[in-house]
Amino acid sequence: MPEWLITLTLILVKLGLVFFVLLTGAAYLVLAERKLLGRMQLRYGPNRVGPFGLLQPLADAVKLLTKEDFIPAQADKFVFFVAPGLAAVTALLAFAVVPFSPPITLFGREVPMVVCDLNIGVLYFLGLSSLAVYGVALGGWASNSKYALLGGIRGLSQLISYELAMGLSLVPVVLMARSFSLTDIVLAQQSVPFALLNPLAFLIFLVSVAAESKRIPFDLPEAENELVAGFHTEYSGMRFGLFFVGEYINMMILGAMITVFFLGGWLGPWLPPIVWFLLKVLAVAFFFIWVRGTLPRLRYDQLMHFGWKVLIPLSLLNVVVTGAVLLWRQG
Amino acid sequence: MNLWRDIKGTVQPFWVTLRNMLRRPVTVRYPEQKRTPPPRYRARIVLTRDPDGGERCVACYLCSAACPVDCISMQAAEAPDGRRHAAWFRINFARCIYCGLCAEACPTLAIQMTPDFAFCKDEPLRLVYEKEDLLINDGGKDREYNFYRHAGIGVVNPRGGNDDEYGPVDVKSNLP
Amino acid sequence: MPKLTIDNQSVEVPDGTNVLEAAKRLGIVIPHFCYHEALGAVGACRLCAMKFEDGPVKGIQMACMVTAQEGMVVSTLDAATVEFRAHVIEWLMMNHPHDCPVCDEGGECQLQDMTVAGGHTLRRYRGLKRTYPNQQLGPFIEHEMNRCIQCYRCARTYQDYCGGEDFGVLGTNQRVYFGRFRDGRLESPFSGNLVDVCPTGVFTDKAFRFKSRYWDLEEAPSVCPHCGLGCATIPGGRYRELQRVRAGSNRQTNGFFICDRGRFGYGHAAHAARPRVPLVDGQEVDWTQALAAARARLDKIIAAHGPRSVALLGSSRAGLEANAQLRSLARLLGTDRVVFAAHAPRDWTARTLAAGLGAQASSLDDVRRSDCLLLIGADPLAEAPLLALAVRQAVRGGARAAIIDPRPVALPCATAHLPLAPWRLGQALAALGDNDWSRFEGQEAVFLEGVHEALAGARHPIVIGGADLLGPAGMRQLLELARRLSREDRPCGAMGVLSGPNSYGAALLAGDGPDFEELSNAMITGEVRALICLESDPLTQAADPAHAGLALARLDLLVALDSLPTKTLGHAQIILPTTVTAEGAGCFVNNEGRMQTFMRVLAPGLPLRETGGGGHPPRLFMADTPGAAPRPAWEILAGLQGRAASLAELRDALAREDVRFAGLTALAAESEGQRVADAGLALPATRVEDYVPRDGELALLVCEALFGSEETAFYSAPLDPVRPEPRLILHERDAGRLGVTPGEQVRLHSAVEEVVLPVEIRADSAPGVAILPRVRGSLVEAFVPGVGPQPCRINREVDHA
Ligand code: SF4
Ligand code: SF4
Ligand code: SF4
Ligand code: SF4
Ligand code: FES
Repeated sequence: MPEWLITLTLILVKLGLVFFVLLTGAAYLVLAERKLLGRMQLRYGPNRVGPFGLLQPLADAVKLLTKEDFIPAQADKFVFFVAPGLAAVTALLAFAVVPFSPPITLFGREVPMVVCDLNIGVLYFLGLSSLAVYGVALGGWASNSKYALLGGIRGLSQLISYELAMGLSLVPVVLMARSFSLTDIVLAQQSVPFALLNPLAFLIFLVSVAAESKRIPFDLPEAENELVAGFHTEYSGMRFGLFFVGEYINMMILGAMITVFFLGGWLGPWLPPIVWFLLKVLAVAFFFIWVRGTLPRLRYDQLMHFGWKVLIPLSLLNVVVTGAVLLWRQG
Repeated sequence: MNLWRDIKGTVQPFWVTLRNMLRRPVTVRYPEQKRTPPPRYRARIVLTRDPDGGERCVACYLCSAACPVDCISMQAAEAPDGRRHAAWFRINFARCIYCGLCAEACPTLAIQMTPDFAFCKDEPLRLVYEKEDLLINDGGKDREYNFYRHAGIGVVNPRGGNDDEYGPVDVKSNLP
Repeated sequence: MPKLTIDNQSVEVPDGTNVLEAAKRLGIVIPHFCYHEALGAVGACRLCAMKFEDGPVKGIQMACMVTAQEGMVVSTLDAATVEFRAHVIEWLMMNHPHDCPVCDEGGECQLQDMTVAGGHTLRRYRGLKRTYPNQQLGPFIEHEMNRCIQCYRCARTYQDYCGGEDFGVLGTNQRVYFGRFRDGRLESPFSGNLVDVCPTGVFTDKAFRFKSRYWDLEEAPSVCPHCGLGCATIPGGRYRELQRVRAGSNRQTNGFFICDRGRFGYGHAAHAARPRVPLVDGQEVDWTQALAAARARLDKIIAAHGPRSVALLGSSRAGLEANAQLRSLARLLGTDRVVFAAHAPRDWTARTLAAGLGAQASSLDDVRRSDCLLLIGADPLAEAPLLALAVRQAVRGGARAAIIDPRPVALPCATAHLPLAPWRLGQALAALGDNDWSRFEGQEAVFLEGVHEALAGARHPIVIGGADLLGPAGMRQLLELARRLSREDRPCGAMGVLSGPNSYGAALLAGDGPDFEELSNAMITGEVRALICLESDPLTQAADPAHAGLALARLDLLVALDSLPTKTLGHAQIILPTTVTAEGAGCFVNNEGRMQTFMRVLAPGLPLRETGGGGHPPRLFMADTPGAAPRPAWEILAGLQGRAASLAELRDALAREDVRFAGLTALAAESEGQRVADAGLALPATRVEDYVPRDGELALLVCEALFGSEETAFYSAPLDPVRPEPRLILHERDAGRLGVTPGEQVRLHSAVEEVVLPVEIRADSAPGVAILPRVRGSLVEAFVPGVGPQPCRINREVDHA
């Protein structure tokens, strides 16, 4: 077999694997979220379809696929069609750079356990997460509905605002790891995870990530009690489903990112690295669900206030301090 | 301090939700576990009869006026004995929200709510109940009341023959 | 203009206003029952108490009984007055039965409202309640005396305002009773007003009994279609059925009341035989097909015989917009044969009035405030009932009213009556104008001289003439008389009594066009091959129905637009169903040239009562409302012209094209309406010569009857119980000559028909005239009023046999 064919096969296999895991993961994350929220509210959550409601995601998929695909009159049809796909695809693409395990040796070759180990992985991730805003903004605009438009506009400004804080909170990480490659960043946490080394950056990143994924308490773009369903008000059937899946994939990606940037990636004792990685991602996901069950939604002005007047100055300060400390340590 | 209060207010609820997550859900698993609703539960509506077995409803339209979703319709008619009654009376249960305002509005205690809540159908028209479907042979919650024994227009008792009336007066008499 | 202060707001009111009204002007309404603007104040209910704090009157007083005076300071919120009112309402409620649920007044009951407003919520009185026996008051009014609160409004309406004599207050003490001496139909043709004025449920509408609650009714301001006066009404419908009509208020026309014909004439909307689907040759078709078929057949006839072979017939029953659309359809088709009334003499009389009335036009309100009235050839109770009430109000205010009419005209007030044969009415008008009594002798001359003197000396004289008896020539003389009686400082008003709700408007559109006689002649000669008939029934309306019948039979095509199952529909190849007044918006021009618009009350449709067969409505999902096909005539006529126009556009176009209707676009329903601008038309030439019988002969005079002859009301079931039996009225002298006794059957030979009917013998009709009130749907249906006296012969039926 020629070299390039093997590489291609490997990439395709990894791609398929990631795809499969991500999509099932997202589906079951929905179920997990509903179950956990149910328990937090002294309910059972979905428990009718299959044992313990385990087939619920399947039932949901069937339901979404068989629902009427409704297109509002005067909607911008093309943009309206494209927007949900955009939301899901940008989320999926970000996973290309996530390393979920150290490279393994297969058929005498070293195979990196990442779809594509870019040396500028951090920038790639930041770029894609800003692209994600297009799904929201375009979907909201194309629906030709005031609720959707308001939701889209909110999403746009919220994502742009929190992206700044998110980017800035990653600067110390890059400084400490001296690399933009995610694999290097993980490897730089051999001794102490960055979450402990730089807890402020960790906290800022956590908050910004929650805001980026439009999750409670930052779900203003879809705030159902004022905007019906925000940017996806007019969507139904599988188009809505794409938005929905995109959101949960996003949650997994961001969980993975937190793991990579701050929790030491696949590193951990005793268990195989991939298991560590999954456990950490799941823990982050649980945390997000927990937050949703606990905190109420912010007001819009509070959201902006918090982003611009608290998070950004804090992260700038953090960059300066981290830089100073690193310089000082180098002596 | 404010900041401290805010932080506490943000962190404490996490403990609350976590604790609750580990408690037993209070859900009653309905179709397998059935509960007897309390007698004043607000579900399927019936039309009751007075103690003499007559239809209580006088088709006064008050319930339909009170109904916030407009699901009651009827037509009043007059019986040969002067009794006002509903020629037809229809409740669209596909629309009813079981708010109980109709029963509250009813001046004759005719329309009452029962605890029978499990009567959904797969076809909306089968949820449209006519008078035959609504009328029961019972007085429901307040068995003794008979509107016409108080109304003073002489349907059940002769005119002026109710307990709280006298007359009818002789208008042509000029005695004091 | 006294200025007073009520609840710290000051208000200036005209002299003579009472304090209750003054407060109303400030938007302060305090509970009251017995005061009514038209009935005045009597201070009977004791509910309108206010505290007079400063000024000429002091203390708690009944506001309706106190005339507003300069410097009064009044409080309605004073604790003592509020408590006083609460007590009053509590004692008014003491004997009131516990029967709101079965009372038709519930929901629009002033007693309910005022009880809540007065603050009485809990019954404290535990004693026994008084009850009364009820009375059967005929087909219109239901009586439930227990509910009475002794406000006297009914008696004041029935006796004082309407002049009814068979109803009033009886009893003493705790037993005050409002009713008749014994059971029986209320005789006044205004009895329905009891329903409106009684603030409680003592008098309710029998035809509407238990049908609906007020809050469920669809209501909108409308105009009565049953005579030419154009009273304001508020029809109410529910479940696709017009269920009742109550009086609207228009201070210029009816004031606050309407007559029973107007109130119970709504039944035509639900007539079982009413045309409800477009029919082409008896086949039910949809609107597109029907309009296309009508247009294609018209075009074919025009192609074969030229545009003038098509004629169009409008009517006084159709609104102004519909008639105007008929005119523009005629223009489009290229024919000048468009007529707006099927009865040629009435048409010419209306055109004469419309052309010449000008500034003399008087409203019913002018009549009410007049101090001298002459009614000539007009029988208000039969032709325009509310005019009788207006005359009565004038007489109550001190006016003198004289009637010159061959019929035994009876008004509910004191009037002087000169029975004069119809062919002498013109002479009388001329004599009054010329002040020359030479053609009259004895009593007649004295009477006329007295009338002239009274008219000349009055401040607001009005002369009122009936179109049917005066005819175009007489109407012209009437207008001339009014002009002669007018002086610089004091005009003399004139009023013509026309038959249809839109006679005046139709006449304005007709201008100097042809009349129906010309049209029917052209139909008989075959010049006219097709007729478009808009809400008109020549077979019962034309001056000569038999001739009209011949004419219609010769037609190749009759397109009939109508909402009533008229006889003419039987001849039509194409039937296009229209809406009735309450189902479509439009405008009527009443007999004084007042444009009044009416709004749509409910959508047309087969009443639920019928689709449900008496039981519950069908258990079906239906996309279409059954029986909802009828459309407003203006919409259909615009459709025949290939246009889809809204009412607003049509009105706009009409107002721009014809200056007389300039105010139409801005006219709101519920307003007082607006007179059409002066037409400046030339008076049409008058042509009809009256038949004058020779000595010893009898002339037959056909005239209108209150409930029998009006077209729309004829189709109304609620009026069925009061339709009169046909009868012939003879003067006692003629009766003596013929040897007939009252009630005897006689045989009437006339050019129209030979019929047998009973006689009524009167001393107060004109001798030499046999009077026949027309009753539609009876054996005298073929006799049409408004054609002047005709020769006739009368035998006793026993002799004949
Ligand atoms: S329970 Fe409420 S919604 Fe249902 S019929 Fe009664 S008033 Fe209407
Ligand atoms: S409120 Fe009671 S009496 Fe009145 S119509 Fe409804 S059920 Fe009948
Ligand atoms: S019957 Fe009606 S209007 Fe007449 S006094 Fe009684 S409450 Fe007043
Ligand atoms: S007087 Fe004429 S317009 Fe007035 S209500 Fe009677 S019929 Fe109608
Ligand atoms: S309104 Fe003044 S006493 Fe009745």
